[in-house]
Amino acid sequence: MKLKSILVSILGAGLFLALAVVAPVSAEPVTVEFWHAMSGGLQDALVALTDEFNATNGQDITVELVNQGGYGDLSKKLMASVAADTLPDMAQVYNNWITGYLDSVVALDDLVATNFDNYDDILESYRNEGAEYGPIYTIGFNKSIQIFFYNKTQFAELGLEVPTTWEELEAAGKVALEATGKPIVGYDDLFGLFQQYVQQNGSGFVVDGKIEFNSPEGLEALTFILNLYKNGYARLAGEDVYLSGPFGNGDVLAYVGSSAGAAYIQPKDFEYGAAPLPKGPVKGSVPQAGTNLALFAQDAAKQTAAWEYIKFLTSADATVEWAIATGYLPVRTSGFESATYQAFMEENEVAQAAYAQVGDQYFEPVFNNSYDIRSLISTEIETAILEEKTPEDAMNTIVEKVQALLDN
Amino acid sequence: MGDGIRRKITVVLTHVFLMAGAMITLLPFVWMILTSLKDAGEIVQMPPTFFPSVWHFDNYLKAFAAAPFGQYFINTLFVTIVGTILTVFITILTAFGFSRLRFPGRDVIFSILLATLMIPGEMLIITNFVTVSKLGWVDTREALIFPWIANVFYIYLLRQFFMQMPDALYYAAKVDACSDWRYLWKIMVPNNRHAISTIAILNAIGCWNAFLWPLIVTNSESKRVLSIGLVRFQTEAGTHFELLMAASAILVVPMIILYLLLRNQIISGVTRSGIKG
Repeated sequence: MKLKSILVSILGAGLFLALAVVAPVSAEPVTVEFWHAMSGGLQDALVALTDEFNATNGQDITVELVNQGGYGDLSKKLMASVAADTLPDMAQVYNNWITGYLDSVVALDDLVATNFDNYDDILESYRNEGAEYGPIYTIGFNKSIQIFFYNKTQFAELGLEVPTTWEELEAAGKVALEATGKPIVGYDDLFGLFQQYVQQNGSGFVVDGKIEFNSPEGLEALTFILNLYKNGYARLAGEDVYLSGPFGNGDVLAYVGSSAGAAYIQPKDFEYGAAPLPKGPVKGSVPQAGTNLALFAQDAAKQTAAWEYIKFLTSADATVEWAIATGYLPVRTSGFESATYQAFMEENEVAQAAYAQVGDQYFEPVFNNSYDIRSLISTEIETAILEEKTPEDAMNTIVEKVQALLDN
Repeated sequence: MGDGIRRKITVVLTHVFLMAGAMITLLPFVWMILTSLKDAGEIVQMPPTFFPSVWHFDNYLKAFAAAPFGQYFINTLFVTIVGTILTVFITILTAFGFSRLRFPGRDVIFSILLATLMIPGEMLIITNFVTVSKLGWVDTREALIFPWIANVFYIYLLRQFFMQMPDALYYAAKVDACSDWRYLWKIMVPNNRHAISTIAILNAIGCWNAFLWPLIVTNSESKRVLSIGLVRFQTEAGTHFELLMAASAILVVPMIILYLLLRNQIISGVTRSGIKG
């Protein structure tokens, strides 16, 4: 026992001396563990960026990427780790995941104020999302926006312009249905569809925990949506879950889905285009999506190291590299305006469509049971479409059920 | 004559019925394989095609390249084999204790064990994770194996089989100075090998398919299992069904082989419950 401890201290001293001799100036090596939910090509892009950071940070920081499955899996795993006190140094999160454990998330206000390059350059709606709970808890990272994908070939054959308003969408739907028998549009995200149309018509959605979408403007929006489906101008994703499949097969002439879904479109004998979403009578309103970076590391050295990495990922160069590789959007205005991204945009309609409407984008605020309310509204709208309910009936059911969840 | 025809009709009808049943059972597997050979567009095509218009065998290569499936395969095999051996060993000992041995509080303890079956597994995940992380087992193979080696359902199942062995056999063995340990392994286990194989295969399938727990307790690629690799093909914006099905096909093949090997054992384990020996 004694001999062992003597040996250990000799070895330790030797190691210390050796380190002191070899690397007299460099800081202690730090490893940062980053949990993410990026798979496939997205993961490859993240690995490339991270390798770049590990090789060039000059401070002996190594970021270890850990894939934790999909968003749902990552969220569950973070929750378990809070309970076991084994959180990683940082992770991708949605705001509604962290409400239960805000104490474990590092508030970033001081770091942003003292050690961050031009925070105001980050897109405003991302800054708003990051500061939803007061302090800045997250920084936007893999951000996407909804896009109107359309069948360019068929639109040209039918002499259709890309609809920019509700009326144009309805008129184009009529033309398309009569000429082809096919619906013009589909929506991947029914909750997002309802929320954006309510807001586009000038009503609030849920504000400070109170339902505002049951306004006359809200009902008008719901009526418009239900009529689109009733008249056969729109179709549900149904069994296909995402409309990129039916769209690629030519079964629907256009669909509204995430800019990140562009990679899943495989057009069969046609060329597809991307455009901004149609705007409502009052304003444009486009849902943003995608996760943000949260810092959990409590240890000072790890915190500093992870912050360096966050600064790197959100820097103009890296965010542009990331956006070009993945189809997500740059998180900085200067990223959008950089020569590299502008050149990319010229060739890429999805990026153009995204850029044209970033000023209209909003984040989904978190309120009591917002996750359940999200799926509830999607289901209720689908039910209303399938059962051809009147808008008033559908609205009453939605209000009643949402209120119950808000009060819960 | 009439009897012969009637018998023939019965045979034909039985076979038609069985064939229909077999086809219904096989269809999901066949569909999985056929889907794995289509391209992404053809999968969502309406009306659907049965056979791929172009056979995309390269889907398998793509799927295999998406994650370190070789490493995952070794890990899954290790966890399944070791986990199943330990589970079966513990199940045999515990079932013997609760069926043959007499000790104070035996039935009360067994009732408490049975009561734990009422708690859904999902509820235990966070508490189990906390325990495992306090033991320092996060991201180790121990965490994948040890929390699951005591399974009350299997113990209950095997105990019922053990209890059907006649008492006389036990006392006869005792008279011949046979120890409990020897009686268990020489008489009880060989006579209940069908039940034990059933438990082994149920457990192996469970280990092989487990997803949430392995995902939660492992972080490094070197410790992860096959089921986690399947998530690689799903993202927020879409799913690569053709690659997902290719990877799933690779995933289920070993279980099908295991089933074919143990087929006879399983069937008699499920159907036979009478006493032997």
